[in-house]
Amino acid sequence: MEIVSGGVSDVGRVRTNNEDSYQILDSLSLFILSDGMGGEAHGEVASALAVETIVKCCTEPKNDSGATLVDSAEVHWAEKTKRLQHAVRQANFNIYESARKNPAQRGMGATVTTAWANEGKLSVAHVGDSRAYLLRTGNLQQLTNDHSLVAEQVRRGIITPQQAEESDMQSVLLRALGAHEDVDVDVDEVGIFSGDVLLLCSDGLTRMVTEPEIAGSLQAETIPAKAAQKLVDLANERGGLDNVTVIVVRFQEPAKGWFSWLRRGSKNKD
Amino acid sequence: MAKLSLMFENKLVKEVPIGSRPVSIGRSPDNDIPIDNLAISNYHARVYYEAGRLVVEDLDSLNGTFVNDLRVERATLHDGDSIWIGKHNIKVDATGDAAIPWDSGRKAAAPKINETMVLDTKARRDMLQQAAALGERSQFSPGRLKMPTLVVLSGKVDQKEYVLTNKLTVIGKSPMATIRLRGWFKPKMAAQINQRDDGYYLGTGDKVPTVNGTPISGTIRLNDGDLIDVCGVRMNFIIRE
Repeated sequence: MEIVSGGVSDVGRVRTNNEDSYQILDSLSLFILSDGMGGEAHGEVASALAVETIVKCCTEPKNDSGATLVDSAEVHWAEKTKRLQHAVRQANFNIYESARKNPAQRGMGATVTTAWANEGKLSVAHVGDSRAYLLRTGNLQQLTNDHSLVAEQVRRGIITPQQAEESDMQSVLLRALGAHEDVDVDVDEVGIFSGDVLLLCSDGLTRMVTEPEIAGSLQAETIPAKAAQKLVDLANERGGLDNVTVIVVRFQEPAKGWFSWLRRGSKNKD
Repeated sequence: MAKLSLMFENKLVKEVPIGSRPVSIGRSPDNDIPIDNLAISNYHARVYYEAGRLVVEDLDSLNGTFVNDLRVERATLHDGDSIWIGKHNIKVDATGDAAIPWDSGRKAAAPKINETMVLDTKARRDMLQQAAALGERSQFSPGRLKMPTLVVLSGKVDQKEYVLTNKLTVIGKSPMATIRLRGWFKPKMAAQINQRDDGYYLGTGDKVPTVNGTPISGTIRLNDGDLIDVCGVRMNFIIRE
């Protein structure tokens, strides 16, 4: 499977600093996006630390440094999914510890949404309200459940999605990295099909741009870096009230047919 | 003190009091109620007190946790309820508990905020309790979860029926597909079913499925009893209680 990706992060039109962080590791097909919180520039510290920790946990040869965090991961998840889950818990711990040791950082935290593609499967892990979406044959499906108060209320049938969009409680998270010593990490696995498009985004996008518009943009622009820029521009046109960060990843089976099959065969022999 | 009684074929196997610590149920021997049966996940479910109410929570088990025949992710327990895990029944005796009253009509009190914030544990508990109290009266309450199922009526596939548990269900020949089509010239992904907050949606893949005889355009929300035809396979979408 051919994997092409692109990412863009923007401060928006209202804020003066960008507390979002993201990283794309094409060599590993690992994608990480984090939205920091906590004033005085510490949101940046938290989100950067989240990204850095996850990269480290996923690139270093497996070690038992995190053995103190007993993994409650279900047995049926793939190895990489468990590893990703562990990495997110480690990121939580590092942010929590950093804030504990450094009083100026008290109250800092971050969301994180991360995806790791391997062997036709996508592992997704997240905490907070940054989302992962999958566009497949024109259908945009959210892969993550927001850990926000309003999303929880919608799931419980107390308020409608429309009421949630108008709520002044949208910024209240139920889970975030750095709030407690340990955190529950949601994980999921999704099979990848040729033509699938993965989107990771901070709430700066989803509060400004509707899902049909997102689906439309991803279909109209097939170059991931350009699609990401387009979505960021759209969020800014609408007011850009928050930092906005977008990662777009396109999965494509190389063109089929005898000729390309032969070419691929010869490439593998090299 | 409230207690849980593990029953198997109407015989009492084990009785466990419920204290301040959660009571864990599962196949692994370190559970408070270990059940050695392959149908049961290692850490299957747990029962605990939350603000004076007894709650059962399924720990993403493979085969599910049922309260009085309803599959639940999380539900409030009442005296006399039966929790079913596999073929094992756990009776709930909640007598001796002081019922804690609360006012559910009150709007969640929270400061108006622009900055993102995380609720601390207590505030979170309070808000979710109010949410739960309200939600319990609504039919969408997580305690009243239903099991959407596709029953295969005809055609070549690998199972007779499928319980839809994932966010994305693919119908096709691909090894990634949940519902695997068999036979020559079948597409890798013929159609898909997506789970959203308000229900299950059928969408096109390489083929356009028909629902109750009408080809779909875009995605449509599935209703209980819908008849789906795709690639020579006929399935009935039903919502099992």
